[in-house]
Amino acid sequence: MSRTLLTIWLKELKDAIRDRRSLMAAMSYAFFGPMLMAVAFFAVVKEATSESDLKVQLEGQEYAPELVEFLQHKGILAATEEDLDTGIKLIIPADYQERLAAAKAVSITVRADYSERKNSSNRQRVERALTEYNQVVASARLMMRGISPEVMYAVVAERQDTATKESRAALIMGTVMVFVLMSVFFAGMNVAIDTSAGERERNSLEFLLAQPVRLIDLVTGKALAASTFAMLGGALTLIMIPAVFLFVPLEKLGIDISFGFGKQVMLALVLIPLAILASALQLFVSFMAKSFKEAQTYITFVMFAPMTIVFVLEFTRFSHAALDYLPVTSQHQVLLGSINGEPVSVLAMAIGALGTLAVAALILLAVQWKLRSEKAVFGL
Amino acid sequence: MIEVTELRKTYKEVTALNGLTFNANDGEITGLLGPNGAGKTTCLRSLYGLIKPDSGRVQVDGLSPVTEPIEVRRSIGIFPDKFGLHERLTAREHIRYIAELHGFRGEAMLEQVDRVIAELKMTDIADRRTQGFSQGQRMKVALAQAIVHQPKNLILDEPSRGLDVMSTRILRELMFGLREQGRCILFSSHVMQEVAALCDRVVIMVQGQVVANDSPAALCAMTGKASFEDAFVQLIGTDEGIMA
Repeated sequence: MSRTLLTIWLKELKDAIRDRRSLMAAMSYAFFGPMLMAVAFFAVVKEATSESDLKVQLEGQEYAPELVEFLQHKGILAATEEDLDTGIKLIIPADYQERLAAAKAVSITVRADYSERKNSSNRQRVERALTEYNQVVASARLMMRGISPEVMYAVVAERQDTATKESRAALIMGTVMVFVLMSVFFAGMNVAIDTSAGERERNSLEFLLAQPVRLIDLVTGKALAASTFAMLGGALTLIMIPAVFLFVPLEKLGIDISFGFGKQVMLALVLIPLAILASALQLFVSFMAKSFKEAQTYITFVMFAPMTIVFVLEFTRFSHAALDYLPVTSQHQVLLGSINGEPVSVLAMAIGALGTLAVAALILLAVQWKLRSEKAVFGL
Repeated sequence: MIEVTELRKTYKEVTALNGLTFNANDGEITGLLGPNGAGKTTCLRSLYGLIKPDSGRVQVDGLSPVTEPIEVRRSIGIFPDKFGLHERLTAREHIRYIAELHGFRGEAMLEQVDRVIAELKMTDIADRRTQGFSQGQRMKVALAQAIVHQPKNLILDEPSRGLDVMSTRILRELMFGLREQGRCILFSSHVMQEVAALCDRVVIMVQGQVVANDSPAALCAMTGKASFEDAFVQLIGTDEGIMA
């Protein structure tokens, strides 16, 4: 590294650190991002854990103790006095035992507001439980009459739920990791704009370009300053994540996250090439702009690209071997791999990092090439 | 020593430089005088390689800014058309930054910075952040940045604009001092009094061409006018865009 590069890097950093407002802006994302996430998780966790206990109002439960017991096994409990109205009411008729003994159909009323969408899975659950109980009783009757209950089943659908605790954890943590990736793009943005479009706006660009400095040193120094901030944001987000989980009862979901210091350091290292790429991209765009405001507008557009890639991958669960090696997706895979128990190989990680740095270098070359043009510099 | 030979530069429809030729010698103050839009800034920018001429040649101490921009920039100090300062850095930090970009490190760098701060009498503002500096104070910072590396050639684009009397005096004394040291000073201006008072040689530029190139006294003699102002007006054929 040339000393000139170091000089530029340090000077830009000093300038950026003194800019309290952009410092706060950068770091507040890293800080509030995980907080927002925590709030969202609270909702998710609550929703997911409510599955185990469903309370319904039971009328006439004294007529059918076996049925009530069966329902209890299925997690459907009788609501007590102090429970609020659960919206579902089961009415067991008084002649339940009599009709059962006579092998006649017993009708059990499931009373609920069937137009209410929120309760539909609960209603289905109750009805499913009743159907199952019906089969148990019917099978017993057939057996007593010397007929195999199997005659009742011509075709059986066998459901295999592949959702495991791990995959559920991956879904949630995947969102967390998108936040981490995004923090790298957001935290350095202000610095990137200030060292490029800002330099032009305050009329210091011409003087700087007239110094005996190789353009590539100049551009790289500025990119490194911005990516230092980007990394700071990324690291802060990584540090915040375990803190957030202290407040979120993930263990209720059966999610076990070991997010120790070692892993944080590893992930931070993986983010470094991405931070440089993000800053290079932002420099490229904002050197084209004539003012700070203009640059902000352009950058917003450019940020869509990597974000879209990550979000699409996150929600479609698309996977392909190449994703392990490409910029942005490689880092995303490593982050995901660190939580879903399918770690990316060291080789893929290295190739991904080098590839990302190569793309960043190409962009920086393009930036310095642009700065050679008098049109770009003086806006002639 | 700056030599400009047959320099041409055209933007779309405007011809900024049209066969410009002149020399600025060491130990002399050369003034580039011309109305607004004469191509002064374009000419100066091509001296430090930020603008590439369509044809013609520039040589600074025998080196071309087109092929060896870094070397050329090492030997010149620049006071540009627009000098913006970083509001969050102090005056001293501004000067240090440029000294470091010119390759000065450690003790040598600090020495240069202290020297230039003393020379420009800016000790009182050296450690203040430049936010809120007056035009004169800002000019001093820019000037300090231009000379901190003790360049052999100094190029100033309209250096006296917006300056108060005290700052103008400092600027003038600085230029005389540098001339004594045998340095080459080239500055552009559209203010005649300034050029007449400061320059050993005046290069009068109109529409990208040199119309006269001599000492102020010789120019007066040449046109037969008593005052430099009259001589100038006669040479450029109009008084448009010129300040007395």
